[in-house]
Amino acid sequence: MHRSNDLLVGAVVLAVALGVSGATLWVKQADIGRHRDRVVARFHDVGNARVGNTVVIRGVRAGQIESISLARGGWVHLSMSLDPAVELPRDPVVLLNESSLFGEWQATITPRSALPRDETVLRQVAEASGGGDVLPGATLPDIAKLTAVAGQIAGDVANVSQRVEVAFDEQAARELRASIRNFADMSSTLARTVHEHRDDLDTLSRALQSAVTTLNRTAVSSAHMAELMDSSTSSGQIRQMMDDMAQAAAELRRSSTQLRVMSEQLGRTQGRLDAFLANGDSVFVKINHGQGSLGLLVNDAALYRHSDSLTLQLRDLVSDLRANPKKYVSVRIF
Amino acid sequence: MTRSPALRQRTSGTAFAPGTVARAAPRGVPRPVRWVAWIGARARGAVEVVGRSALFGADTLRALRQVSTWRPMLMPQMRTLGVNSLPIGLFIAVFTGIVLALLASYSFTGAVPLYFVGTLVEKTITMELAPVLTGLALAGRVGANIAAELGTMRVTEQIDALETLAYDPYAYLVVPRVLAGTVMFPVVVGAAMLVGVGAGWVAAVGLLDLSSQEFVKGLRLFFDAFDVRYGLVKAASFGLVVTLVGSARGLRAAGGAQGVGRAATSAVVYSAVLILVLDAFWAVAWLLQRAGV
Repeated sequence: MHRSNDLLVGAVVLAVALGVSGATLWVKQADIGRHRDRVVARFHDVGNARVGNTVVIRGVRAGQIESISLARGGWVHLSMSLDPAVELPRDPVVLLNESSLFGEWQATITPRSALPRDETVLRQVAEASGGGDVLPGATLPDIAKLTAVAGQIAGDVANVSQRVEVAFDEQAARELRASIRNFADMSSTLARTVHEHRDDLDTLSRALQSAVTTLNRTAVSSAHMAELMDSSTSSGQIRQMMDDMAQAAAELRRSSTQLRVMSEQLGRTQGRLDAFLANGDSVFVKINHGQGSLGLLVNDAALYRHSDSLTLQLRDLVSDLRANPKKYVSVRIF
Repeated sequence: MTRSPALRQRTSGTAFAPGTVARAAPRGVPRPVRWVAWIGARARGAVEVVGRSALFGADTLRALRQVSTWRPMLMPQMRTLGVNSLPIGLFIAVFTGIVLALLASYSFTGAVPLYFVGTLVEKTITMELAPVLTGLALAGRVGANIAAELGTMRVTEQIDALETLAYDPYAYLVVPRVLAGTVMFPVVVGAAMLVGVGAGWVAAVGLLDLSSQEFVKGLRLFFDAFDVRYGLVKAASFGLVVTLVGSARGLRAAGGAQGVGRAATSAVVYSAVLILVLDAFWAVAWLLQRAGV
């Protein structure tokens, strides 16, 4: 009886002890007697990281935090045990961060090139570098800090909205509402006006198009006229003609002067000469004013030739008059 | 192995016999004086309870030295109090684990990830429910058993016979029971932890939309070996209290079968109350200290 009691009690105690111990080790994922690599990192602050928290490399569990201790120079040394098969990334850095929203933390070993582009994190890593075999580490802000910042932002927004509320009082709101109503009225009036004057605008645009067409046509004609003028002036004929006319006029005026001196003694010839001179003077005046035949002469080569011929004949007449005045004028003295 | 007259008087219960407090004020005394005497008698009775408990504890500690007396009785008591209590402890644990998993999933719907069922089952079973529920169950089974057994021995004068044979009833009757209860309660509670968490796991996988991997993830998420240690230490303290109270009430039983019944009942009631008080004590004294509050 005693032996059976001993055996039964011993078996139960052993079984329960082994069961509880085995379950505890299994849940803790402990490796008894297995060699583990040890890595130490240093931080200014380890946040809420605790012994037993998971160590992660590229999202895969690679070990756990073994110890956390204060070190000289204001550092905190965090020792991690890693599975022997795990290879550390090149230029490794340790980040402490929350692994979930429920306060659990983990240590993430990551290459320096994969660090988040956060100024605070980069500064922490830079400060913790140069510790020899001790890896540099940085602590990411936890959800409490983030919510604190969010709360501060919310407070600022509340302040701004409060100020807006103060500035945007009931009077301002009424005026704004009135302005919006006026603008709406104006918009509807404008729309109505545009609708009503759509036909007028169409007519106006058609007339404008016609005018533009006419202008184009006029421009073509002007260009053609300019080409004619250019061709006429380029040969110097007009200038030559004008010079000749001026010279003839001067000679004629001299002759008329001489004739006037002798006017008292001129008879019928004087009347014809006066009429001729009057007509000639009238022609020259018109020419000077760009009127009459000579004006047409500018644009008509045939007229030019006729007038040139007339000038030559007039010159011959004047020369003949000088050479044989008695042929045309009979001067009687007494 | 002789016993002093004072010790014999304490074990026989004559030193603090029931009714001594009630007879504190004799008849014929004016009513106000009787009231004052009644208050004084109650106060003295409360202090006497503390004194009796302290003397009982001291006698038990002193009896620990008589190893040859209590050692032969230890294993039978461990079997009776521990091994034979496993079925009731495991039965409670199975249903506790199942109900806890379902209750957790019901509470977490839409708000908390479902794998936290594993976390809640582990934390609650190991730290609270396994020790307390098993302790309460064993308080009824073990406490009443001890009180009835020792009370019967008391009223049938078997204890007097032991004393006549120069056996110390504390060393022969109390110490093996107290040691067996203190050792075997954690064993039963440890088994209840395993079975309770396992039952919660099976219930979560079988009855909820939760995979085994997710349950284990939640189980490991906030697991700390301290949880198990805390639960087992609490269980040991419960075992100590239940066996001490049962032994004390049994040794002080008087008045035949009725007295034995009263002793058994009071043993269960006091054990249950003390288990809850101790549960709160450990939470304040250990958990708060560990949490740094």
